[in-house]
Amino acid sequence: MLARIKSEITLWRVIVGIIFVTGIYATYIRFFEGFRASTNLSDQMPWGLWVGLGTLCGVGLSAAGFGISAAVYLLGMERYRPILRSAILISFLGYLTVCVGYLYEIGLPWRFWHPIVMWNHRSVLFDVCICIMTYTTVLTFEFAPAVIEKLPWKRLRETVLHYHHKILIGVVLAGVLLSSMHQSYLGGLYLIARGKVHPLWYSQYMHAMFYLSAIPAGLALTVMAIYLCMRSLNVRIDPSILSDCGRMVQMLLIVYAFFKALDLVANQAFGYAFQRTTEAGYFWLEVLLFLAIPITLLSFESVRNNLERLYWSCAIVVAGFMVNRLNVSINALQTAMGTHYVPKWSEFASTILVIAAAVMAFRYAVIYLDILPKAPAKPTYRWMSNGGLPAQA
Amino acid sequence: MAQEKAMLIDIKRCIGCMSCETACKQLHGFGTDPEPTLSDTAFTVVESRGDKFVRKVCMHCEDPACASACPVGALDKLALGPVVYNADKCIGCRYCMLACPYQVPRYQWTKLAPFVKKCDMCVDRVKAGKPTACAEACPVQATVFGNRSELINEAWNRIRGDSSYVPHIYGVDELGGGCVLFVSDVPFEKLGFKPAPSGNQPMPTLTQSALGDSPKVVIMGGTILSALYWVTQRRREVALAEAEEKAVINKIRGERS
Repeated sequence: MLARIKSEITLWRVIVGIIFVTGIYATYIRFFEGFRASTNLSDQMPWGLWVGLGTLCGVGLSAAGFGISAAVYLLGMERYRPILRSAILISFLGYLTVCVGYLYEIGLPWRFWHPIVMWNHRSVLFDVCICIMTYTTVLTFEFAPAVIEKLPWKRLRETVLHYHHKILIGVVLAGVLLSSMHQSYLGGLYLIARGKVHPLWYSQYMHAMFYLSAIPAGLALTVMAIYLCMRSLNVRIDPSILSDCGRMVQMLLIVYAFFKALDLVANQAFGYAFQRTTEAGYFWLEVLLFLAIPITLLSFESVRNNLERLYWSCAIVVAGFMVNRLNVSINALQTAMGTHYVPKWSEFASTILVIAAAVMAFRYAVIYLDILPKAPAKPTYRWMSNGGLPAQA
Repeated sequence: MAQEKAMLIDIKRCIGCMSCETACKQLHGFGTDPEPTLSDTAFTVVESRGDKFVRKVCMHCEDPACASACPVGALDKLALGPVVYNADKCIGCRYCMLACPYQVPRYQWTKLAPFVKKCDMCVDRVKAGKPTACAEACPVQATVFGNRSELINEAWNRIRGDSSYVPHIYGVDELGGGCVLFVSDVPFEKLGFKPAPSGNQPMPTLTQSALGDSPKVVIMGGTILSALYWVTQRRREVALAEAEEKAVINKIRGERS
């Protein structure tokens, strides 16, 4: 008995346990002792890690859902249909973490519904709230068939799926537009903070920069998730789909790099990158991780065609994306606000708890629902030889 | 309609007695210990800059960044002048604090049900026809209260009558203007007045172009995407029809041979 229990304790289970215990304790502090006890936020830094990591990264990394559903449903790229559901699921869970994070962020969480009835058309944040709420509903709708098809009642199942299919295209279209709007509005939030946001990041096209950077990052996260599912959950996806995604990530990153450089030149902000400031340091870290390294790596066929190398390249993209969002939301503001903000442990713990819960939900969904095609029987890794090319069976 | 009210703060006249600070704290029932910066219990403070004293207080902008930023419209600019906060609407997102170019709004970080705190230009007193508490308390008329247009005239009279004044009224045009006006005998940039981040344009104009584009983007994007969808569907139909045709032809050919 004891031996059996002992064999159940694995490294990852211990880590998950620690994440849940500390996260729940941090949540308790947040809701029962308040902001002063649970955060290092101040009048000089009213938005911190919860917004930077939880919301900006959470929404940004969930961008694959609308990207791939647009590609498959609207542009007819049937090739990507096998990864469509997983991308939608990642987005759906990502938006759920953002909705939960919203309750941590606002000072009066029981008034979370106020933006639904109290409108302010001039507020970017209002638009973000409404778009995220609506789009989360759209994602629920897009993801629903995965659950409905598992219902035991045949008549109900078929009726619902029949009508679902009839309005699906319209909903997908609305979802793409909603996503495009709020992905960019998250950058638009900082437009009004001119004079506070460091010139390396501030521009009148910040919203466009956010939009362009979110799509490759979301796609990279989807590639990562699918690779992990293939490694541990017996999922079988044609690896050439993933290497095509890698190529797409690279192209989108080049597009973003082009416009970012153009923007810096237009704002005459390039000079700031060569000053001896912390901001310049963070800027180059971002350029290195989000642009320079991945664009170089992904240009090699040997990287794109090797799943493990592709995975690590995408991991660097995701890390670089997170540096970018934290730069905009925290590092770019510190000098002008005259403060130095380091998040408290409880800010990290609560954010990681929400992310860990989403990752676990993803895992169980892949196991119990038809999210990704699974190998029928014993896994064979024939296709892993020959540089990961599919077996010519 | 009542005329827009304002306050004129004369940095040359200010003697740094802090009566305004104390009066403000008394009116709101806060402890009377002076605080170094604005806080949730200090809506105005007197900061010393060299041998001068500069009051820090909400500027009550004509087109306030905070009011445009608030997602639930909890901040409002009254025709009477004050920018007021409706605690019943606030959700505590603190976007107003990020948006305010003067870094005025403060938050009750220690409370479990925290609210935003800032100067409301004694709106209840002003509605009752009384001056603000700080202006009333000032012993040397360094802060005076009145109609905005009259105060601008008064400020120009002071500048014209005394050549030591800087020929500029801070707050008339900056960021679209506000209801707190400063005159000074020391250049404003030397007193810690930062250059206005968007010149004489109100801050909300910074977001208006991005928000104004969205209907266009939605209509254009929707049209383009629908068109693309139609094209892909049509191509699929054509491909299917062609395949069928081919199959029929092949069948006929097969029968002939």
